[in-house]
Parts: sequence; structure tokens; C-alpha cells
Amino acid sequence: MSAASLRLRVAAGGLAALALGACATAAKLPVVGRPTLESADFIVVTARWGDTTAELARRFLGDARLAWMIEDYNDVTKLSRGQTVVIPKRPWNPSGVYTNGYQLVPVLTYHDIGPQAKGRLVIGAKAFGEQMHYLKTHNYRVVSLEELHEFLQLKRQLPRRAVVLTFDDGHRSFLEYAYPVLKDLRFPATLFVYTDYVGSGRNALDWDDLARLDAEGFQVEGHTKTHGDLRRQPGESEADHARRLRAELEASQRLFQQRLGRPARFLAYPYGAADDAVLAHTRDSGFLGGLTVFREGNASFVPLFRIRRSQIYAEMTLEDFVKNLNTFAPEPIK
Amino acid sequence: MTARPALALLAVLALSGCATLLGGPGRQTLADIERAKAERLERDGALRAALEATTVALTLEPDDPALRERKARLEARIERAVAEQMQHARAALGRGAYLEARRHFLMALALDPGHAPAFEGLRNEVKEVRFVTHIVRAGESLGSIAQRYYGDRSRSEVIWEINQLPRNPRLTVGASLRVPEIPGVPFYLSPREGADPSRGTIPRDDLAPEIDPLVAEARDALERKNFAEALASVDRVLASNPYHSEGAELKKTILYSLGKTRLGERRYDESYQALVQLAKLTPRYDDLTDLTRQARAGLVQQRYNEGVRLYREEKLEQAIDEWKAVLELDPRHPSARKNIEQAELILKKLDERTKR
Repeated sequence: MSAASLRLRVAAGGLAALALGACATAAKLPVVGRPTLESADFIVVTARWGDTTAELARRFLGDARLAWMIEDYNDVTKLSRGQTVVIPKRPWNPSGVYTNGYQLVPVLTYHDIGPQAKGRLVIGAKAFGEQMHYLKTHNYRVVSLEELHEFLQLKRQLPRRAVVLTFDDGHRSFLEYAYPVLKDLRFPATLFVYTDYVGSGRNALDWDDLARLDAEGFQVEGHTKTHGDLRRQPGESEADHARRLRAELEASQRLFQQRLGRPARFLAYPYGAADDAVLAHTRDSGFLGGLTVFREGNASFVPLFRIRRSQIYAEMTLEDFVKNLNTFAPEPIK
Repeated sequence: MTARPALALLAVLALSGCATLLGGPGRQTLADIERAKAERLERDGALRAALEATTVALTLEPDDPALRERKARLEARIERAVAEQMQHARAALGRGAYLEARRHFLMALALDPGHAPAFEGLRNEVKEVRFVTHIVRAGESLGSIAQRYYGDRSRSEVIWEINQLPRNPRLTVGASLRVPEIPGVPFYLSPREGADPSRGTIPRDDLAPEIDPLVAEARDALERKNFAEALASVDRVLASNPYHSEGAELKKTILYSLGKTRLGERRYDESYQALVQLAKLTPRYDDLTDLTRQARAGLVQQRYNEGVRLYREEKLEQAIDEWKAVLELDPRHPSARKNIEQAELILKKLDERTKR
């Protein structure tokens, strides 16, 4: 959903509200709608028994998924009867900067998932499910990498508790353990695959899997060809390094084009590692953004080729996991 | 957040009926509350929040001239304040005072959260946040340094990443590390006594950032002592990327482990081959020289004995081959040379006898 369509949807909701707002001018008519006042910026309504933010969002903004706008603006998650609710009709803080600090959007990174945890990069299916449910029950809003990218360009306001989910390498276990949970909770996610691994055996997703996932709205993005460290290695000449970078990205992009009909738009640097040459090369190759594994949330003004991600390891307790969900950097700037 | 109107108050006063809320004193009351809030916020200099409250009040009282006037005034004040912050930010950038520039850009954005020039300035022109240089002392690890500055061992990865350290760094005493301030996390510039140990920490040093699955397979095979599979996996990694440093390191580990294991099993031939291959990759590796000597000695003895056995069975040519192999491993092996001469002499005599 682009910023433009967000505005459109908000505008459509406004029309609905106008229609419902009939009783503003004809107070003696039977109340079919609810008390409503509206300006170009806001709709003010009184909550009735049983109202939820999702219901108000559906009714007045045209999309139940915009419930976060009502929740964030009024700083509530639940409504009580008689409560006055201010419904913002447009984004009011696209950069997420306030006088007491700024918004951070964590990007979480998973790898393999198994029936049991194994090592640090194969997380147990049960722990994974618990983490996803934690996000749901604690009112985090999982948004797509695409939406984060719009936020990073000042083109989209994100929910205050927005989180992005990513899965690295292209393990087949995604289909068995992550996909059903994400579908159930309606969480978007991005897979970063390195093309040498795709279709390389029974543990890897193949291109058909990826094409299906891509068509279903799971974003499939780049993780190079071989998963080698892209940084210039000791003993590697500048020219050799440039050649290697070109080969890594071009080979991968060719396959994306062939198999998914489009190039990858984002690159997760293998090992999260990138030096200045890697950043420049990634940008010059037409990518929109690059992702590291710097364990921190993203302010809206984070450099596009140094988007941070927090890796979630198998041995983390739920408490450890929650430490990666910091969505606000308090920084009094007055 | 500043944008949040204090609507809890409104809730108490809100009237449930359509007519009363919209036409009567309820709406008036709500507008008054927002108006009062806007006034207070403006007095406090919270211009953005004041503008928000005024706009909400205008939703309730669209025709109130005082509110319209306040809104216009606030918008003008905000515009001026943003321009001022931008000016300060540019001046600070000119002096190289990045942190100060950062603060001014942030203030401009807090006033106008969609202000593109401030946003771009923050992204592109502000270099770094605060850093301190830490000199590594004996016994310190990234975890303990993270504990020292952030009160949290699990932040060690930030230091790891900023310093672009190798995957399992050994910190050298006296080396200097850059330790960055992390927005939103306490930053203790002076050492404090007993950093709170009750804060949850991630078990084990959180250093290895990510693993290539093919490398993981190789590691897995190595753990099971399936050396052939481990070598095949790691060779696949290295075939596609000869600069894969983790793969290259792992290959050395596999060869070393193979050499040592086979040595213990007295399978000297395999042991020696693995160790020689390792020596080609890296001549100095742990006790490689010593192991290679042992493997070579074992292999020499084994092949020498095999030669003797074949000799006794009168398979002289095969015996000679074994001893020649011994000489290749150990050119000065005295018995092997002597035995070959002996065997060749016998062969020659046999040959002559046959001819006759």
C-alpha cells in the first residue's frame, strides 16, 4: 500500500464519515450512525459499547488495518463506551520524530527453523511460534520491508510499534514452520535468498517455492550468489574485489529476473558485513537498500544502505527476544 | 508523544447522545478543553502539540475565529522556528559539530515531522553519534566492555560491528576499540561499580553473526567425523567463492582434524595426505609440523614393513615399490635403500638364470 493509496483510503473513509455525520446538522433524526464531527484533518466520534479501534478504522478510514492510527493518536488500545475518539484522517508524523525522542523500527532476522532448536541459527518451531504470538498479543504491528522503505523515505508513517520480519538464506523449513504461523497472524515477511543455495537440496527452497511465496506477497530479496563476505579480503586487489562484487550481484540478479521476472530490490549483506566499496557498489547496481546485522532498530533517517537488523538466535529466551523490540529512542532534544 | 491529546478528560465529559454532543454544550465543552490545552502548550513552547490541539478544537468549532487565528499564528511560528533550527544545524555542520547539527535537525523535525530538508540533513550530513576510544586491558572481552559502557553484555555486537572485527576476535591488550553511544541506551562514560547484573543478558558471547548453511553442513559433518562429507561441502563453498574466509578456515580445521584422527588410528597414509594438504594451505598451524613428522614416520614404518612382508612372499617387485615409496618419504632411509639393492640383485640373478 503506497502513501498515495493510504491517503486515498483515508479520504474514502472521510466520505463515509460525512454520510454518517448527517446527524450533525439534523439532530432530531433517528440516530443511525453516531455523533460525528469532521474537519479536513480529523474525525471526532464518541465510542459506543463494543466499539473497537479496528471497527472505527474500517468505518471511518475505510480499512480495519488502519486501527493503529486511532490507537497511536489517542494512545489507547481499547475503547470504552462514551470515550471521545479523535480519528486522524492523514499521517501526522511521517518521520516519527518527537520532542522526547524518535521512533525505531526493529527488523528481526531468522534463519532456519526446526522441530527442535539446534545450534544458534536453527530456532525451535515452538519458540518461533511463541515469539510471533508475543508480537500479536503485545500489539506490535508487523509491516513489510517495502513499507519500512517508504518510511525511510518520509513517504509513509508507520505504526508506533512497527516491526519487520526477515528470513535469511532460503531454508525449506520456512514453508513448514513459519509460513502457517505468519499466514494465520497475517504477518508479512521478507526472505533473503542466496542463489547458489536455491534448489540445492532437500533443505533449500527452490525457485518454484519462491515464485509462489512472492506471488502471495512474501517479499523475496537478494542475499548474493555465494554468501561470501562481500568486503574486500586481505590480499585481494581493488580490481579483483570490484570484479567479485559485480559477479556476486549480477549472477544473482540474472536468476531473479529469469525466475521471478524482476530483479531483487534489497540486498542483505552476507554476515551483515559491508565496507564502503560494498555500499557504493550495491547502490550503483540499482538496489534500493542494503541490510546489515547491526543489532538496533531503525530511525526513519537511517542510511538506506545500512538498514539495521537484529538476529534472533535459537538460545534466546522470550525475555532476550523482547530486548530486540525497542521501538523508541528517548532523546529529549529541547 | 506530543501529538497525543489528553482525551481521557474528554471521555469523562463526553455525552452519549448525538444531539447533545454535536449541537449543544458538549461540543462546546470539548472545544474549550482543546482550546485550553492548545494555549498551555503554546505557552510552554510545544508548538507542534499546540497546533495539533488547535486543529482538533477546530474540528469541533470550525467557525471559531480565535481558533483560526491561533492556528495561522502557530503555523507561522513553527515555520520560523524550523528555519531557525535549520540555520543552526547548517552552522554547526560548518564547524564540524555533528552532534549539535543532529540535535537541530531533530528539533526541526519534531516541529515539522515531514520536513524533508531536515530529514535529508540528518541522514546524509550528520556523521556519527558519540564515540569513546577504549584501550583493551588484560582479561577483557567484548562482552565485558559492553557491560562496562552500556551495563549490558549483549550489546557487545555493536562494538564488534563498529570496529569491523573478525568473527571470533581475540582482543589484544593495548588495542583501541571505538565504542559508540547507542541512541536509547544508557552510556556510562566513567566506570561504575557493579553494573546491575540482574538485567537479562544473552547467554554466551554474542559474536558469530551469521553462518552460511553450506558451511554449517560442513561443520555438522565434521562434528560427526565424516571428513569426506565435510571436505566435499567446504570445497563446494570455496569453489564458488575462493575468498570465503570462514570456509577457508573451516577447511584447515577439517584437514587438521582428519590428520590427527587418522594418526591416532594408525591410518598413516590418510593422515599424512591430509596434513600435507594442510601444510600447503598454511605451513604453520598449531602442532602441524610435529604431527606431520609422526605421520610420516608411521607411514614409513608401515610401508617398510609391508615391503618386508612382500619380500618374504617373494613378491620382489612389489616389495621394491613399497621401499621406493619409503625413500620418497625419507630419502635417507638406510634399510630401504639396502633392501632395494638386495632385491634388485636377486631379481637380476633370477633374470639371468631364466635366460639361460
